[in-house]
Amino acid sequence: MRNREPSTRTAMTNMTRILATLTLLLAAANAAQAQTATQTVTFQVDAINQIAFTGSPSLVVNTATAGSGPAAATANGTWAVTTNQSNAKITASINSAMPAGLTLTANLAAPAGGTSAGAQTLSTTAVDVVTGLTQVAQGTLNVAYELTATTAAGVVTSQSRTVTYTITGGT
Amino acid sequence: MKVRLGVLAIAALLPLGGRAAFAQTLGVSGDPGLLRISTAVSGSEPIAVSNSSTTYTVSTPNPNRLHSITAQLNAAMPVGVTLTATLAAPPGATSLGPIALDVTARDVVTGIPRRTDSTHGITYQLAATVQAGVVPVSTRIVTLTIVQAP
Repeated sequence: MRNREPSTRTAMTNMTRILATLTLLLAAANAAQAQTATQTVTFQVDAINQIAFTGSPSLVVNTATAGSGPAAATANGTWAVTTNQSNAKITASINSAMPAGLTLTANLAAPAGGTSAGAQTLSTTAVDVVTGLTQVAQGTLNVAYELTATTAAGVVTSQSRTVTYTITGGT
Repeated sequence: MKVRLGVLAIAALLPLGGRAAFAQTLGVSGDPGLLRISTAVSGSEPIAVSNSSTTYTVSTPNPNRLHSITAQLNAAMPVGVTLTATLAAPPGATSLGPIALDVTARDVVTGIPRRTDSTHGITYQLAATVQAGVVPVSTRIVTLTIVQAP
């Protein structure tokens, strides 16, 4: 009887080892139940600076208060902007000079965070009209044109000018 | 004697468990091409881009339960940039549609039936707000995992 005790202990010890090994194997098997696959996704976002203007306003100066210069004519359009950069700005110019005595101005409402330069006289030299555009996407912004004429301008037949707006990216 | 029988019984069951554990498999066809955002409609956020050039193959030969597929990234996306994945579902399963990916595993397909062995499309979409700014070329590793449904 005494001789069987060590044998039983040995058997139990072996059983314990086997069970421990099996536990580890089963744990590993369970872990292996989650099968995976991987993909590498590559991406980038470029600098984006886009503007759009709508409307082809017509401006006619045809009246005056007696004793004063001709009354200015006004017209409106809209514009929109998207930029993902900082401190972008918009400039404006026209394709040819205005007749003597006539002044055309443009006044762009600024989107959130931007600064309008107010009514700016347009010429063939680009002038800032909105500055400080930073990471903004906004549309339906007002642009107001005004045409003024002095009496010295006389009668001016119908003419057109193309206004070019340019957005210059920031940083 | 009882001990030996017990060991033999467990040893006999082990191979069965091992086969079941490795039954389901998941593979992909490769990596999608560059996702590049470069334009916008004035007044609106940048235009999102997508890529549907890759597929996944799922096999659940003999499971006892339904399976699902999760997806997760190895690192968070930049602020203002969103990467979504849409995995088309095998017959009988459900695609959860575009899922925004992050570092948390999220279900993308659920209810994959037993004995499924099929290949389906993966669509990635990259979207960015203007607040994201300019983002240089970057990579993220998407890990798809097939798991037993609870």
